[in-house]
Amino acid sequence: MFLEIESLTMQFGGIYALKEVSLAVEQGEIHGLIGPNGSGKTTTFNVVSGYYKPTSGSIRFEGAGITGLPAHKITAAGFARTFQNLRLFSSMTVLDNVLVGMGHHAKTGLWREILNPAAVRREESRFVGDAIHLLELFGIAGLADHPATGLSYGEQRRVEIARALATKPKILLLDEPAAGLNEVESDELRGTLKSIRDSGVTILLIEHDMKLVMGVCDVITVLDYGRKIAEGPCESVSGDPVVIEAYLGKEDEP
Amino acid sequence: MNSGIFIQTIIGGLGIGSLYALIALGYSMVYRSMGLVNFAQGSIYMVGTYFGIIWYAGIVVGLRVPYPVALLIGILLNAMLGVVLERIFRPLAKLDLMFMLLGTIGLGFVLNNLFVIIFGAEGFAVKSPLPDTPIIVLGIRVLPQMLLLIGGAAALMTALQIFLKRGKLGVAMRASAMDHDIASAMGIPVNRMNALTLAIGSALAAAAGILAAPIVYVNPAMGSAIGLKGFAAAILGGFGSIPGAIVGGLLFGVLEAVSSGYISSSYTRGIAFIIMVLVLMIKPTGIVGETTVEKV
Ligand SMILES: Nc1ncnc2c1ncn2[C@@H]1O[C@H](COP(=O)(O)OP(=O)(O)OP(=O)(O)O)[C@@H](O)[C@H]1O
Ligand SMILES: [Mg+2]
Repeated sequence: MFLEIESLTMQFGGIYALKEVSLAVEQGEIHGLIGPNGSGKTTTFNVVSGYYKPTSGSIRFEGAGITGLPAHKITAAGFARTFQNLRLFSSMTVLDNVLVGMGHHAKTGLWREILNPAAVRREESRFVGDAIHLLELFGIAGLADHPATGLSYGEQRRVEIARALATKPKILLLDEPAAGLNEVESDELRGTLKSIRDSGVTILLIEHDMKLVMGVCDVITVLDYGRKIAEGPCESVSGDPVVIEAYLGKEDEP
Repeated sequence: MNSGIFIQTIIGGLGIGSLYALIALGYSMVYRSMGLVNFAQGSIYMVGTYFGIIWYAGIVVGLRVPYPVALLIGILLNAMLGVVLERIFRPLAKLDLMFMLLGTIGLGFVLNNLFVIIFGAEGFAVKSPLPDTPIIVLGIRVLPQMLLLIGGAAALMTALQIFLKRGKLGVAMRASAMDHDIASAMGIPVNRMNALTLAIGSALAAAAGILAAPIVYVNPAMGSAIGLKGFAAAILGGFGSIPGAIVGGLLFGVLEAVSSGYISSSYTRGIAFIIMVLVLMIKPTGIVGETTVEKV
C-alpha cells in the first residue's frame, strides 16, 4: 500500500480531533477527504505531514514507518502540502517562492557553496529553468518577478500548488485548494488536478466544493467528529445516508 | 571645529558604527530566524574576540600567528560556538520574552565569568598589525586600523547580503525565518537554518571584535556596553531587519562620535540613546523596520 494510516488518534486536551481513523491511499489516485467543519481533515494533514505527533496510531508510506518524523523529513520522503489559509512567502517573488521548494533537492551545503561556487551556480540556473517551466504550466510565468503579495487570490493558490510541486513529491496533500476561487478558476483547478495526477503524483484532497470533489476524486473518505464515517467511490458516498445526515445535521454546511 | 576635524569625527563614528552594525546584525538575524532576543550577544562578541586575538597576541603558551590567520580562527571558532548555542536556545525560543531574557542574560554571565576564570579580569592592549601612526590626508588623521575595521565590516556586510539574496542557502534561510511551518513543508530543516544563523551572527561578532581589538581594550567585560549599544542600534534601524541593523549601527556610531565631539564626551552614551528613543517615538518600527516581523 502506498500511504497507509492506521487507527490514528489525535487528542488536544480533552478533545479528540481524530479518533482511530484508518485510511489507505493508493498510488495514482485522487483521494478526497471531506467532512463538515471541524471534523478533523486539516488535523489529518498536520499529523501525516509531521506537524503534530499523533496520540496513537501509525502512518506508513511505501512500506516505511514515518509516524512522528519531523516535517522536513516527511517532505524528503516524498510528501508536499498546501495550507488551508494560503501561506506564501509574502516578501519574496513568485519565482523565489517556487525556488524555495526546489532547494531541498540541491546538493548545496555551506561548504559546497564556498568551495565550488561554479557548480552551485550551474545547479541554480538549472533550478531557475525548472521553476519557470513549472510556472508556465500554471500559466503564471509572467508573474515570476512579482512579489507574492500583489497577486490575486486565484494566482496565489496556483503559486502555492506550484511551490508544493517544486519539491517533486510523490503525493500531494491539498487543503481546500478551491476555497476563494470563482467558478471559472475552480473548473481550471479540476483540469490542473487531473494533469498533476496524470503526471504520476498521487493526490489527497480536502475540499468543500462538492462539484470539484465529485468531478475529480477516484475515492472519497468522509470524516465527522474525528471519525471516519464513510469511504468509497463518489456515487456510493454521495448517496450514503450517514454522510447526508452528517452534512444536513449542520446548518452552515455547503 | 573645522571641517577636517568634522570629517575625522565622522570617520571615527563610522568605525565604531561598523562595530555596532556587525553586532546588531547578530541580534536581528537571530530574532528574525528564531524569534529570540539574544542578550548574550555582547558576551558572544567578547568570546569571539578572545577566540581570535589570543593566537595573535601570544596569550596561549606564547603561540603567535599572523593577524589574518587569527581573524580566521576567531571567526571559525565563534561560528562553532553559534551552532552549540542553537541547541541551547532552541527550548528558550518557545518561551515568553521574560524567560528568553533571563536565559540569554544568564548565559552571558556564565560566559563572562568563564573568561574571567580562564584569562583573568585584567585585560590587555593589542598591537595593530598595521602602522600605529595615523595616516594624514588633507589634514584628516585616521588610524590605519580604523580603516581596516570599516573596510572589513563593509566587505563582510556585502558578502552577507549577497549570500542571503543570491545563494540557494540564503533563500532557504530567508524562507525559514519568514515561516517555519512552510519552510519545513518545503523540506528545509529549520533547526539547522537557525544554527546557521547563529553561526553567522557569532562569526560577524568575532570579526568585529578582532578587527576592533587594536582600537578598544580587550577584557572579559568588553562586551557589556557594546552589546547594549549593538542592541540599541538594531532597534534604531528596525529590530529584525538586516539593512536596518547596518543603518542603525552606523548611525548610532556617528551620532555618538558627533555628540561627544561637539557637546561633551561625558554625554556620549546618553545622547545616542536619547536620539534612539526620539526616533522610536516618531517611527516605532525603527528606520528601516518592517511591520511584518512580529515574533515576540
Ligand atoms: N492545535 C490544535 N489545538 C487544539 N485543538 C485543535 C488544534 N487543531 C485542531 N483542533 C481541533 O480539532 C478539531 C478538528 O479541526 P480541523 O482543523 O482538523 O478540522 P477541519 O476538518 O479541517 O475543519 P475545516 O473544514 O473547518 O477546515 C476542531 O475541533 C479543532 O478545534
Ligand atoms: Mg481544515
